[in-house]
Amino acid sequence: MIRWALVRAPLLLAGVSVAVFAATEALPGDAALARTAGRATAAQLAALRADGGLDDPVWLRYLRWVWGLLRGDAGVSLLSDRPVSDLIGQRLPAAVILAAAALAVTVPVMLSLAWVAGTGSVAGRYATALVTATAAVPQVVVAAGLTALFAGVLGWLPPVSLVPAGGAPPPATLILPAVSLALPAAAYGAMLLRGVVADTLALPCVRDAERRGLSRLTVALRYALPPLLAPTVRILALVSAGLFAATAVVETMFGYAGLGELLAGAVANRDTPVVQAVAMLAAAVAVGGLLVADVLAAATDPYRARS
Amino acid sequence: MIGVALCGAALVPHDPLLPLGAPWGPPSGDTPLGTDALGRDVLSRVLAGGRHLTGTAGLAALIASATGIAGGLLAGWRDGPVSRALSALADLLLAIPLLLIAMLLAVTLPGTVAVVAATVCGGAPLTLRIVADAVRRVRTAGYVEAALGRGESGPAILRREMLPALAGLAGQDLGARFVVALQIAAALSLLGLGLAPPAPDWAAMIRENLGGAGLNPAALVAPAAALALLCLAVSAAGHAAVARSRGPR
Repeated sequence: MIRWALVRAPLLLAGVSVAVFAATEALPGDAALARTAGRATAAQLAALRADGGLDDPVWLRYLRWVWGLLRGDAGVSLLSDRPVSDLIGQRLPAAVILAAAALAVTVPVMLSLAWVAGTGSVAGRYATALVTATAAVPQVVVAAGLTALFAGVLGWLPPVSLVPAGGAPPPATLILPAVSLALPAAAYGAMLLRGVVADTLALPCVRDAERRGLSRLTVALRYALPPLLAPTVRILALVSAGLFAATAVVETMFGYAGLGELLAGAVANRDTPVVQAVAMLAAAVAVGGLLVADVLAAATDPYRARS
Repeated sequence: MIGVALCGAALVPHDPLLPLGAPWGPPSGDTPLGTDALGRDVLSRVLAGGRHLTGTAGLAALIASATGIAGGLLAGWRDGPVSRALSALADLLLAIPLLLIAMLLAVTLPGTVAVVAATVCGGAPLTLRIVADAVRRVRTAGYVEAALGRGESGPAILRREMLPALAGLAGQDLGARFVVALQIAAALSLLGLGLAPPAPDWAAMIRENLGGAGLNPAALVAPAAALALLCLAVSAAGHAAVARSRGPR
Protein backbone atom coordinates (compact mmCIF):
# COMPACT_ATOMS: atom_id res chain seq x y z
CA MET A 1 0.00 0.00 0.00
CA ILE A 2 2.65 2.50 1.08
CA ARG A 3 4.99 1.24 -1.63
CA TRP A 4 2.31 1.76 -4.30
CA ALA A 5 1.67 5.29 -3.03
CA LEU A 6 5.39 6.07 -3.27
CA VAL A 7 5.53 4.77 -6.84
CA ARG A 8 2.34 6.53 -7.87
CA ALA A 9 3.33 10.04 -6.80
CA PRO A 10 6.32 10.42 -9.20
CA LEU A 11 4.32 8.74 -11.99
CA LEU A 12 1.49 11.24 -11.45
CA LEU A 13 3.92 14.16 -11.49
CA ALA A 14 5.53 12.87 -14.70
CA GLY A 15 2.09 12.59 -16.31
CA VAL A 16 1.23 16.11 -15.19
CA SER A 17 4.53 17.51 -16.50
CA VAL A 18 3.82 16.04 -19.96
CA ALA A 19 0.29 17.48 -19.88
CA VAL A 20 1.49 20.93 -18.71
CA PHE A 21 4.21 21.04 -21.37
CA ALA A 22 1.84 19.85 -24.11
CA ALA A 23 -0.93 22.28 -23.14
CA THR A 24 1.39 25.30 -23.14
CA GLU A 25 3.58 24.32 -26.12
CA ALA A 26 0.55 24.01 -28.40
CA LEU A 27 0.55 27.82 -28.71
CA PRO A 28 1.22 29.27 -32.13
CA GLY A 29 4.40 31.32 -32.02
CA ASP A 30 7.29 30.73 -29.65
CA ALA A 31 9.54 32.44 -27.14
CA ALA A 32 11.60 34.14 -29.88
CA LEU A 33 8.51 35.76 -31.40
CA ALA A 34 7.17 36.77 -28.00
CA ARG A 35 10.52 38.20 -26.82
CA THR A 36 11.05 40.35 -29.91
CA ALA A 37 7.40 41.39 -30.24
CA GLY A 38 7.53 41.50 -34.06
CA ARG A 39 10.47 43.92 -34.23
CA ALA A 40 13.03 41.40 -35.52
CA THR A 41 13.84 40.28 -39.05
CA ALA A 42 13.53 36.66 -40.12
CA ALA A 43 17.31 36.19 -39.90
CA GLN A 44 17.46 37.59 -36.37
CA LEU A 45 14.59 35.34 -35.33
CA ALA A 46 16.32 32.30 -36.79
CA ALA A 47 19.53 33.16 -34.92
CA LEU A 48 17.61 33.63 -31.67
CA ARG A 49 15.87 30.27 -32.13
CA ALA A 50 19.08 28.43 -32.88
CA ASP A 51 20.66 30.09 -29.85
CA GLY A 52 17.83 29.09 -27.48
CA GLY A 53 17.40 25.59 -28.91
CA LEU A 54 13.85 26.34 -30.05
CA ASP A 55 14.37 24.43 -33.33
CA ASP A 56 14.99 21.19 -31.49
CA PRO A 57 12.34 18.46 -31.58
CA VAL A 58 9.59 18.62 -28.95
CA TRP A 59 10.85 15.69 -26.86
CA LEU A 60 14.30 17.28 -26.54
CA ARG A 61 12.81 20.60 -25.44
CA TYR A 62 10.61 18.73 -22.95
CA LEU A 63 13.59 16.87 -21.46
CA ARG A 64 15.60 20.09 -21.27
CA TRP A 65 12.69 21.80 -19.48
CA VAL A 66 12.29 18.95 -16.96
CA TRP A 67 16.05 18.84 -16.35
CA GLY A 68 15.97 22.58 -15.72
CA LEU A 69 13.08 22.26 -13.26
CA LEU A 70 14.90 19.51 -11.37
CA ARG A 71 17.90 21.81 -10.98
CA GLY A 72 15.66 24.69 -9.90
CA ASP A 73 16.03 26.58 -13.18
CA ALA A 74 12.59 27.30 -14.62
CA GLY A 75 13.69 29.58 -17.45
CA VAL A 76 13.11 33.28 -18.01
CA SER A 77 9.78 35.11 -18.04
CA LEU A 78 8.80 36.22 -21.55
CA LEU A 79 7.16 39.32 -20.12
CA SER A 80 9.71 40.74 -17.72
CA ASP A 81 12.90 38.91 -18.81
CA ARG A 82 13.54 37.94 -15.19
CA PRO A 83 14.28 34.38 -14.03
CA VAL A 84 11.04 32.58 -13.17
CA SER A 85 12.52 31.22 -9.94
CA ASP A 86 13.11 34.82 -8.76
CA LEU A 87 9.50 35.76 -9.52
CA ILE A 88 8.23 32.72 -7.60
CA GLY A 89 10.63 33.19 -4.69
CA GLN A 90 9.55 36.81 -4.32
CA ARG A 91 5.87 35.89 -4.04
CA LEU A 92 6.16 32.63 -2.15
CA PRO A 93 6.02 34.09 1.41
CA ALA A 94 2.80 36.04 0.72
CA ALA A 95 1.23 33.00 -0.94
CA VAL A 96 2.13 30.71 1.96
CA ILE A 97 0.81 33.20 4.54
CA LEU A 98 -2.54 33.48 2.74
CA ALA A 99 -2.88 29.72 2.21
CA ALA A 100 -2.03 29.04 5.85
CA ALA A 101 -4.56 31.63 7.06
CA ALA A 102 -7.24 30.15 4.78
CA LEU A 103 -6.50 26.58 5.90
CA ALA A 104 -6.59 27.63 9.56
CA VAL A 105 -10.22 28.66 8.96
CA THR A 106 -11.11 25.82 6.58
CA VAL A 107 -10.10 22.79 8.63
CA PRO A 108 -12.08 23.40 11.85
CA VAL A 109 -15.14 24.69 9.95
CA MET A 110 -15.10 21.72 7.58
CA LEU A 111 -14.65 19.10 10.32
CA SER A 112 -17.38 20.46 12.57
CA LEU A 113 -19.84 20.94 9.69
CA ALA A 114 -19.21 17.40 8.41
CA TRP A 115 -19.66 15.95 11.92
CA VAL A 116 -22.94 17.80 12.56
CA ALA A 117 -24.27 17.05 9.05
CA GLY A 118 -23.35 13.38 9.37
CA THR A 119 -25.26 12.77 12.60
CA GLY A 120 -28.66 12.72 10.86
CA SER A 121 -30.37 14.85 13.53
CA VAL A 122 -32.56 17.87 12.71
CA ALA A 123 -29.49 20.12 13.01
CA GLY A 124 -27.73 17.65 10.71
CA ARG A 125 -30.33 18.09 8.00
CA TYR A 126 -30.01 21.88 8.20
CA ALA A 127 -26.22 21.59 8.12
CA THR A 128 -26.43 19.30 5.06
CA ALA A 129 -28.63 21.77 3.22
CA LEU A 130 -26.30 24.65 4.17
CA VAL A 131 -23.20 22.75 3.07
CA THR A 132 -24.74 21.64 -0.26
CA ALA A 133 -25.94 25.15 -1.05
CA THR A 134 -22.63 26.83 -0.13
CA ALA A 135 -20.64 24.33 -2.17
CA ALA A 136 -22.77 25.14 -5.23
CA VAL A 137 -22.08 28.89 -5.07
CA PRO A 138 -19.05 30.03 -7.14
CA GLN A 139 -16.04 31.36 -5.28
CA VAL A 140 -16.32 34.77 -6.96
CA VAL A 141 -19.81 35.16 -5.51
CA VAL A 142 -18.61 34.40 -1.98
CA ALA A 143 -15.76 36.88 -2.37
CA ALA A 144 -18.04 39.54 -3.88
CA GLY A 145 -20.67 39.08 -1.18
CA LEU A 146 -18.15 39.33 1.65
CA THR A 147 -16.56 42.42 0.06
CA ALA A 148 -19.90 44.13 -0.47
CA LEU A 149 -20.86 43.51 3.17
CA PHE A 150 -17.64 44.08 5.10
CA ALA A 151 -15.84 46.54 2.84
CA GLY A 152 -18.82 48.23 1.16
CA VAL A 153 -21.76 48.50 3.54
CA LEU A 154 -20.00 48.19 6.91
CA GLY A 155 -16.63 49.61 5.86
CA TRP A 156 -14.71 47.49 8.41
CA LEU A 157 -12.15 45.94 6.08
CA PRO A 158 -10.20 47.16 3.04
CA PRO A 159 -11.63 45.97 -0.32
CA VAL A 160 -8.14 45.43 -1.78
CA SER A 161 -5.23 43.64 -0.15
CA LEU A 162 -2.02 45.19 -1.44
CA VAL A 163 1.12 43.59 -0.08
CA PRO A 164 3.88 46.12 0.74
CA ALA A 165 7.15 45.32 -1.08
CA GLY A 166 9.37 43.03 0.95
CA GLY A 167 7.09 42.93 3.96
CA ALA A 168 4.40 40.79 5.49
CA PRO A 169 0.80 41.68 4.58
CA PRO A 170 -1.05 43.52 7.38
CA PRO A 171 -3.45 41.10 9.13
CA ALA A 172 -6.58 43.13 8.29
CA THR A 173 -5.96 42.75 4.55
CA LEU A 174 -5.75 38.96 4.95
CA ILE A 175 -9.22 38.49 6.42
CA LEU A 176 -11.37 38.90 3.29
CA PRO A 177 -9.18 36.81 0.94
CA ALA A 178 -8.66 34.07 3.54
CA VAL A 179 -12.36 33.76 4.38
CA SER A 180 -13.30 33.88 0.68
CA LEU A 181 -10.94 30.96 0.10
CA ALA A 182 -12.00 29.07 3.21
CA LEU A 183 -15.80 29.10 2.97
CA PRO A 184 -16.21 27.27 -0.40
CA ALA A 185 -13.36 24.89 0.44
CA ALA A 186 -14.86 24.03 3.84
CA ALA A 187 -18.32 23.51 2.35
CA TYR A 188 -16.98 21.29 -0.43
CA GLY A 189 -14.90 19.23 1.99
CA ALA A 190 -17.79 18.90 4.44
CA MET A 191 -20.05 17.74 1.60
CA LEU A 192 -17.58 14.96 0.74
CA LEU A 193 -16.93 14.02 4.37
CA ARG A 194 -20.58 14.06 5.50
CA GLY A 195 -21.45 10.75 3.83
CA VAL A 196 -18.36 9.09 5.33
CA VAL A 197 -19.32 10.32 8.81
CA ALA A 198 -22.90 9.08 8.37
CA ASP A 199 -21.67 5.65 7.22
CA THR A 200 -19.24 5.39 10.12
CA LEU A 201 -21.84 6.33 12.72
CA ALA A 202 -24.07 3.56 11.31
CA LEU A 203 -21.33 0.90 11.74
CA PRO A 204 -22.35 -2.03 14.01
CA CYS A 205 -19.46 -1.43 16.41
CA VAL A 206 -20.48 2.22 16.91
CA ARG A 207 -24.16 1.29 17.35
CA ASP A 208 -23.22 -1.43 19.86
CA ALA A 209 -21.08 0.91 21.87
CA GLU A 210 -23.97 3.39 22.04
CA ARG A 211 -26.35 0.67 23.25
CA ARG A 212 -23.90 -0.49 25.89
CA GLY A 213 -24.37 2.95 27.42
CA LEU A 214 -20.86 4.32 26.89
CA SER A 215 -20.63 8.08 27.01
CA ARG A 216 -20.93 9.91 23.70
CA LEU A 217 -17.38 11.19 23.96
CA THR A 218 -16.01 7.67 24.47
CA VAL A 219 -18.04 6.35 21.52
CA ALA A 220 -16.81 9.15 19.30
CA LEU A 221 -13.14 8.92 20.32
CA ARG A 222 -12.75 5.17 20.55
CA TYR A 223 -15.13 3.79 17.91
CA ALA A 224 -16.02 6.49 15.38
CA LEU A 225 -12.76 8.41 14.96
CA PRO A 226 -10.29 5.64 13.99
CA PRO A 227 -12.10 4.56 10.80
CA LEU A 228 -12.73 8.23 9.94
CA LEU A 229 -9.06 9.21 10.06
CA ALA A 230 -7.93 7.92 6.65
CA PRO A 231 -10.80 9.33 4.54
CA THR A 232 -10.57 12.64 6.41
CA VAL A 233 -6.89 13.01 5.60
CA ARG A 234 -7.56 12.21 1.91
CA ILE A 235 -10.34 14.78 1.70
CA LEU A 236 -8.15 17.35 3.49
CA ALA A 237 -5.44 16.78 0.87
CA LEU A 238 -7.93 17.27 -1.98
CA VAL A 239 -9.42 20.38 -0.37
CA SER A 240 -6.01 21.97 0.28
CA ALA A 241 -4.94 21.39 -3.33
CA GLY A 242 -8.18 22.96 -4.56
CA LEU A 243 -7.72 25.88 -2.18
CA PHE A 244 -4.20 26.46 -3.45
CA ALA A 245 -5.48 26.59 -7.04
CA ALA A 246 -8.37 28.85 -6.05
CA THR A 247 -5.92 31.51 -4.83
CA ALA A 248 -5.65 32.48 -8.53
CA VAL A 249 -9.22 33.81 -8.46
CA VAL A 250 -9.23 35.28 -4.97
CA GLU A 251 -5.78 36.90 -5.18
CA THR A 252 -6.70 38.47 -8.51
CA MET A 253 -9.94 39.84 -7.05
CA PHE A 254 -8.24 41.42 -4.06
CA GLY A 255 -5.05 42.44 -5.85
CA TYR A 256 -2.99 40.29 -3.46
CA ALA A 257 0.46 39.61 -4.92
CA GLY A 258 0.78 35.87 -4.32
CA LEU A 259 1.47 32.91 -6.59
CA GLY A 260 -2.14 32.58 -7.73
CA GLU A 261 -2.15 36.12 -9.04
CA LEU A 262 1.19 35.47 -10.75
CA LEU A 263 -0.29 32.41 -12.49
CA ALA A 264 -3.49 34.20 -13.51
CA GLY A 265 -1.51 37.10 -14.98
CA ALA A 266 0.86 34.74 -16.79
CA VAL A 267 -2.08 32.82 -18.30
CA ALA A 268 -3.66 36.06 -19.51
CA ASN A 269 -0.34 37.19 -21.05
CA ARG A 270 0.59 33.75 -22.44
CA ASP A 271 3.85 33.90 -20.47
CA THR A 272 4.51 30.15 -20.87
CA PRO A 273 7.64 29.67 -18.70
CA VAL A 274 5.86 31.24 -15.71
CA VAL A 275 2.65 29.26 -16.33
CA GLN A 276 4.60 26.00 -16.61
CA ALA A 277 6.60 26.59 -13.44
CA VAL A 278 3.71 27.75 -11.22
CA ALA A 279 1.42 25.00 -12.56
CA MET A 280 4.06 22.36 -11.80
CA LEU A 281 4.51 23.82 -8.31
CA ALA A 282 0.75 23.66 -7.68
CA ALA A 283 0.57 20.13 -9.07
CA ALA A 284 3.50 19.08 -6.89
CA VAL A 285 1.68 20.45 -3.84
CA ALA A 286 -1.47 18.50 -4.83
CA VAL A 287 0.38 15.23 -5.51
CA GLY A 288 2.50 15.63 -2.38
CA GLY A 289 -0.65 16.12 -0.30
CA LEU A 290 -2.19 12.97 -1.75
CA LEU A 291 1.02 11.05 -1.06
CA VAL A 292 1.06 12.15 2.58
CA ALA A 293 -2.64 11.21 2.83
CA ASP A 294 -2.01 7.75 1.33
CA VAL A 295 0.89 7.06 3.68
CA LEU A 296 -1.07 8.22 6.73
CA ALA A 297 -4.09 6.19 5.61
CA ALA A 298 -1.97 3.08 5.23
CA ALA A 299 -0.31 3.64 8.60
CA THR A 300 -3.63 4.02 10.44
CA ASP A 301 -5.45 1.23 8.56
CA PRO A 302 -6.75 -1.23 11.20
CA TYR A 303 -6.62 -4.08 8.66
CA ARG A 304 -3.03 -3.38 7.65
CA ALA A 305 -1.76 -6.55 9.35
CA ARG A 306 -4.10 -8.70 7.29
CA SER A 307 -3.22 -7.52 3.79
CA MET B 1 -33.86 31.06 -13.34
CA ILE B 2 -32.23 29.42 -16.37
CA GLY B 3 -34.95 31.01 -18.50
CA VAL B 4 -34.20 34.46 -17.09
CA ALA B 5 -30.48 33.91 -17.65
CA LEU B 6 -31.02 32.90 -21.29
CA CYS B 7 -33.79 35.35 -22.28
CA GLY B 8 -33.06 38.31 -19.97
CA ALA B 9 -31.36 40.18 -22.80
CA ALA B 10 -34.81 40.71 -24.39
CA LEU B 11 -36.10 42.54 -21.30
CA VAL B 12 -33.40 45.18 -20.81
CA PRO B 13 -34.72 48.71 -20.13
CA HIS B 14 -31.50 50.37 -21.42
CA ASP B 15 -28.65 49.48 -23.75
CA PRO B 16 -26.26 47.47 -21.50
CA LEU B 17 -23.23 48.96 -23.30
CA LEU B 18 -24.18 52.66 -23.12
CA PRO B 19 -23.21 54.97 -20.22
CA LEU B 20 -26.23 56.69 -18.65
CA GLY B 21 -24.70 58.81 -15.91
CA ALA B 22 -21.93 59.09 -13.35
CA PRO B 23 -19.98 55.96 -12.44
CA TRP B 24 -21.28 53.97 -9.44
CA GLY B 25 -24.37 56.14 -9.08
CA PRO B 26 -26.79 54.98 -6.37
CA PRO B 27 -30.13 53.37 -7.34
CA SER B 28 -32.70 55.83 -8.70
CA GLY B 29 -36.07 55.69 -10.45
CA ASP B 30 -34.58 55.31 -13.90
CA THR B 31 -31.83 52.87 -12.87
CA PRO B 32 -33.28 50.67 -10.09
CA LEU B 33 -29.89 49.11 -9.29
CA GLY B 34 -27.78 52.19 -9.94
CA THR B 35 -24.89 52.45 -12.39
CA ASP B 36 -21.59 50.57 -12.72
CA ALA B 37 -17.91 51.52 -13.09
CA LEU B 38 -18.55 53.24 -16.45
CA GLY B 39 -21.98 54.66 -15.59
CA ARG B 40 -23.94 51.91 -17.37
CA ASP B 41 -27.28 50.59 -16.07
CA VAL B 42 -26.62 47.69 -13.68
CA LEU B 43 -30.11 46.15 -14.11
CA SER B 44 -29.75 45.97 -17.90
CA ARG B 45 -26.30 44.47 -17.63
CA VAL B 46 -27.46 41.87 -15.11
CA LEU B 47 -30.39 40.88 -17.35
CA ALA B 48 -28.14 40.58 -20.40
CA GLY B 49 -25.10 39.15 -18.63
CA GLY B 50 -26.15 35.54 -18.03
CA ARG B 51 -26.72 34.21 -21.50
CA HIS B 52 -23.18 33.46 -22.58
CA LEU B 53 -22.26 31.99 -19.18
CA THR B 54 -25.34 29.75 -19.04
CA GLY B 55 -25.02 28.61 -22.64
CA THR B 56 -21.35 27.74 -22.25
CA ALA B 57 -21.91 25.92 -18.96
CA GLY B 58 -24.93 24.02 -20.29
CA LEU B 59 -23.03 22.84 -23.35
CA ALA B 60 -20.01 21.91 -21.22
CA ALA B 61 -22.19 19.96 -18.77
CA LEU B 62 -23.92 18.03 -21.57
CA ILE B 63 -20.62 17.01 -23.19
CA ALA B 64 -18.97 16.15 -19.84
CA SER B 65 -21.94 14.08 -18.67
CA ALA B 66 -22.29 12.24 -21.98
CA THR B 67 -18.56 11.47 -22.09
CA GLY B 68 -18.57 10.30 -18.49
CA ILE B 69 -21.65 8.10 -18.92
CA ALA B 70 -20.24 6.49 -22.08
CA GLY B 71 -16.92 5.89 -20.33
CA GLY B 72 -18.66 4.59 -17.21
CA LEU B 73 -20.76 2.11 -19.19
CA LEU B 74 -17.61 0.90 -20.93
CA ALA B 75 -15.55 0.68 -17.72
CA GLY B 76 -18.29 -0.92 -15.63
CA TRP B 77 -19.54 -3.51 -18.08
CA ARG B 78 -16.40 -5.62 -18.32
CA ASP B 79 -13.36 -5.72 -16.06
CA GLY B 80 -10.34 -5.71 -18.31
CA PRO B 81 -7.48 -3.56 -19.59
CA VAL B 82 -9.89 -0.96 -21.05
CA SER B 83 -11.68 -0.62 -17.74
CA ARG B 84 -8.40 -0.31 -15.86
CA ALA B 85 -6.98 2.23 -18.32
CA LEU B 86 -10.13 4.39 -18.09
CA SER B 87 -10.08 4.28 -14.29
CA ALA B 88 -6.38 5.18 -14.20
CA LEU B 89 -6.96 8.15 -16.52
CA ALA B 90 -9.86 9.28 -14.34
CA ASP B 91 -7.65 9.05 -11.23
CA LEU B 92 -4.92 11.08 -12.91
CA LEU B 93 -7.35 13.85 -13.88
CA LEU B 94 -8.98 13.91 -10.44
CA ALA B 95 -5.64 14.31 -8.65
CA ILE B 96 -5.11 17.76 -10.22
CA PRO B 97 -7.23 20.71 -9.04
CA LEU B 98 -9.89 21.53 -11.60
CA LEU B 99 -9.17 25.25 -11.71
CA LEU B 100 -5.52 24.54 -12.51
CA ILE B 101 -6.59 22.36 -15.47
CA ALA B 102 -8.94 25.11 -16.63
CA MET B 103 -6.21 27.78 -16.47
CA LEU B 104 -3.71 25.58 -18.31
CA LEU B 105 -6.23 24.96 -21.07
CA ALA B 106 -6.98 28.68 -21.24
CA VAL B 107 -3.34 29.39 -22.18
CA THR B 108 -3.92 28.03 -25.69
CA LEU B 109 -7.70 27.73 -26.06
CA PRO B 110 -10.17 30.63 -26.20
CA GLY B 111 -12.10 31.07 -22.93
CA THR B 112 -15.35 29.40 -23.96
CA VAL B 113 -13.63 26.31 -25.38
CA ALA B 114 -11.40 26.13 -22.29
CA VAL B 115 -14.48 26.05 -20.02
CA VAL B 116 -15.96 23.16 -22.02
CA ALA B 117 -12.67 21.26 -22.15
CA ALA B 118 -11.97 21.77 -18.44
CA THR B 119 -15.46 20.63 -17.46
CA VAL B 120 -14.96 17.48 -19.51
CA CYS B 121 -11.49 16.87 -18.01
CA GLY B 122 -12.60 17.48 -14.44
CA GLY B 123 -16.24 16.37 -14.53
CA ALA B 124 -16.31 13.36 -16.80
CA PRO B 125 -13.98 11.29 -14.53
CA LEU B 126 -16.38 11.74 -11.60
CA THR B 127 -19.36 10.74 -13.77
CA LEU B 128 -17.34 7.80 -15.08
CA ARG B 129 -16.63 6.58 -11.57
CA ILE B 130 -20.25 6.90 -10.40
CA VAL B 131 -21.71 5.26 -13.53
CA ALA B 132 -19.13 2.45 -13.57
CA ASP B 133 -19.96 1.64 -9.92
CA ALA B 134 -23.69 1.67 -10.69
CA VAL B 135 -23.23 -0.55 -13.76
CA ARG B 136 -21.16 -3.03 -11.73
CA ARG B 137 -23.98 -3.23 -9.19
CA VAL B 138 -26.73 -3.60 -11.83
CA ARG B 139 -24.70 -6.10 -13.88
CA THR B 140 -25.78 -8.99 -11.68
CA ALA B 141 -29.40 -7.85 -11.27
CA GLY B 142 -32.12 -10.31 -12.32
CA TYR B 143 -33.41 -8.39 -15.30
CA VAL B 144 -29.95 -7.97 -16.80
CA GLU B 145 -29.16 -11.66 -16.40
CA ALA B 146 -32.56 -12.44 -17.95
CA ALA B 147 -31.68 -10.28 -20.96
CA LEU B 148 -28.30 -11.99 -21.21
CA GLY B 149 -30.09 -15.34 -21.06
CA ARG B 150 -32.38 -14.27 -23.92
CA GLY B 151 -29.21 -13.83 -25.92
CA GLU B 152 -29.31 -10.03 -26.30
CA SER B 153 -26.09 -8.29 -27.23
CA GLY B 154 -24.05 -6.21 -24.80
CA PRO B 155 -24.75 -2.81 -26.41
CA ALA B 156 -28.49 -3.55 -26.55
CA ILE B 157 -28.55 -4.45 -22.85
CA LEU B 158 -26.54 -1.33 -21.97
CA ARG B 159 -29.00 0.82 -23.90
CA ARG B 160 -32.32 -0.81 -23.04
CA GLU B 161 -31.79 -2.22 -19.56
CA MET B 162 -29.12 -0.08 -17.96
CA LEU B 163 -29.65 3.46 -19.24
CA PRO B 164 -33.24 3.68 -17.88
CA ALA B 165 -31.99 2.45 -14.51
CA LEU B 166 -29.36 5.20 -14.54
CA ALA B 167 -31.71 8.03 -15.62
CA GLY B 168 -32.08 9.61 -12.17
CA LEU B 169 -28.37 9.34 -11.54
CA ALA B 170 -27.67 10.95 -14.91
CA GLY B 171 -30.06 13.81 -14.10
CA GLN B 172 -28.31 14.62 -10.83
CA ASP B 173 -24.95 14.21 -12.47
CA LEU B 174 -25.87 16.65 -15.23
CA GLY B 175 -26.91 19.16 -12.56
CA ALA B 176 -23.63 18.72 -10.69
CA ARG B 177 -21.54 19.15 -13.88
CA PHE B 178 -23.60 22.23 -14.81
CA VAL B 179 -22.76 23.83 -11.46
CA VAL B 180 -19.06 23.00 -11.83
CA ALA B 181 -19.05 24.36 -15.38
CA LEU B 182 -20.65 27.59 -14.13
CA GLN B 183 -18.02 27.87 -11.40
CA ILE B 184 -15.20 27.41 -13.91
CA ALA B 185 -16.79 29.81 -16.39
CA ALA B 186 -17.18 32.41 -13.64
CA ALA B 187 -13.59 31.94 -12.46
CA LEU B 188 -12.08 32.21 -15.97
CA SER B 189 -14.30 35.15 -16.80
CA LEU B 190 -13.19 36.90 -13.61
CA LEU B 191 -9.56 36.35 -14.64
CA GLY B 192 -10.34 38.21 -17.88
CA LEU B 193 -10.33 35.06 -20.02
CA GLY B 194 -14.04 35.14 -20.88
CA LEU B 195 -15.90 37.56 -23.13
CA ALA B 196 -14.09 40.70 -24.27
CA PRO B 197 -14.62 43.67 -21.88
CA PRO B 198 -17.61 45.74 -23.04
CA ALA B 199 -19.91 42.69 -23.26
CA PRO B 200 -22.05 42.21 -20.14
CA ASP B 201 -21.10 39.15 -18.09
CA TRP B 202 -21.87 38.48 -14.42
CA ALA B 203 -18.39 37.42 -13.37
CA ALA B 204 -16.72 40.26 -15.29
CA MET B 205 -19.20 42.67 -13.66
CA ILE B 206 -18.12 41.46 -10.23
CA ARG B 207 -14.52 42.30 -11.08
CA GLU B 208 -15.34 45.68 -12.66
CA ASN B 209 -17.46 46.81 -9.73
CA LEU B 210 -15.30 45.55 -6.86
CA GLY B 211 -13.70 49.00 -6.50
CA GLY B 212 -17.10 50.66 -6.12
CA ALA B 213 -18.24 48.42 -3.27
CA GLY B 214 -18.60 51.46 -1.01
CA LEU B 215 -20.32 53.74 -3.56
CA ASN B 216 -22.90 51.42 -5.11
CA PRO B 217 -22.89 47.96 -3.46
CA ALA B 218 -25.84 46.98 -5.68
CA ALA B 219 -23.54 46.95 -8.72
CA LEU B 220 -21.51 44.23 -6.98
CA VAL B 221 -24.29 42.34 -5.22
CA ALA B 222 -26.72 42.07 -8.16
CA PRO B 223 -24.50 40.04 -10.56
CA ALA B 224 -23.19 37.97 -7.63
CA ALA B 225 -26.75 37.18 -6.50
CA ALA B 226 -27.79 36.30 -10.05
CA LEU B 227 -24.84 33.91 -10.38
CA ALA B 228 -25.55 32.34 -6.98
CA LEU B 229 -29.28 31.90 -7.69
CA LEU B 230 -28.53 30.25 -11.03
CA CYS B 231 -26.11 27.78 -9.42
CA LEU B 232 -28.53 27.00 -6.57
CA ALA B 233 -31.42 26.50 -9.02
CA VAL B 234 -29.42 24.08 -11.18
CA SER B 235 -28.13 22.19 -8.15
CA ALA B 236 -31.65 21.89 -6.69
CA ALA B 237 -33.03 20.69 -10.03
CA GLY B 238 -30.39 17.95 -10.09
CA HIS B 239 -31.31 16.79 -6.59
CA ALA B 240 -35.00 16.82 -7.55
CA ALA B 241 -34.24 14.58 -10.56
CA VAL B 242 -32.73 11.95 -8.31
CA ALA B 243 -35.56 12.19 -5.77
CA ARG B 244 -38.16 11.74 -8.53
CA SER B 245 -36.44 8.70 -10.03
CA ARG B 246 -36.41 7.01 -6.61
CA GLY B 247 -40.18 7.52 -6.40
CA PRO B 248 -42.31 7.66 -3.26
CA ARG B 249 -41.06 5.46 -0.45
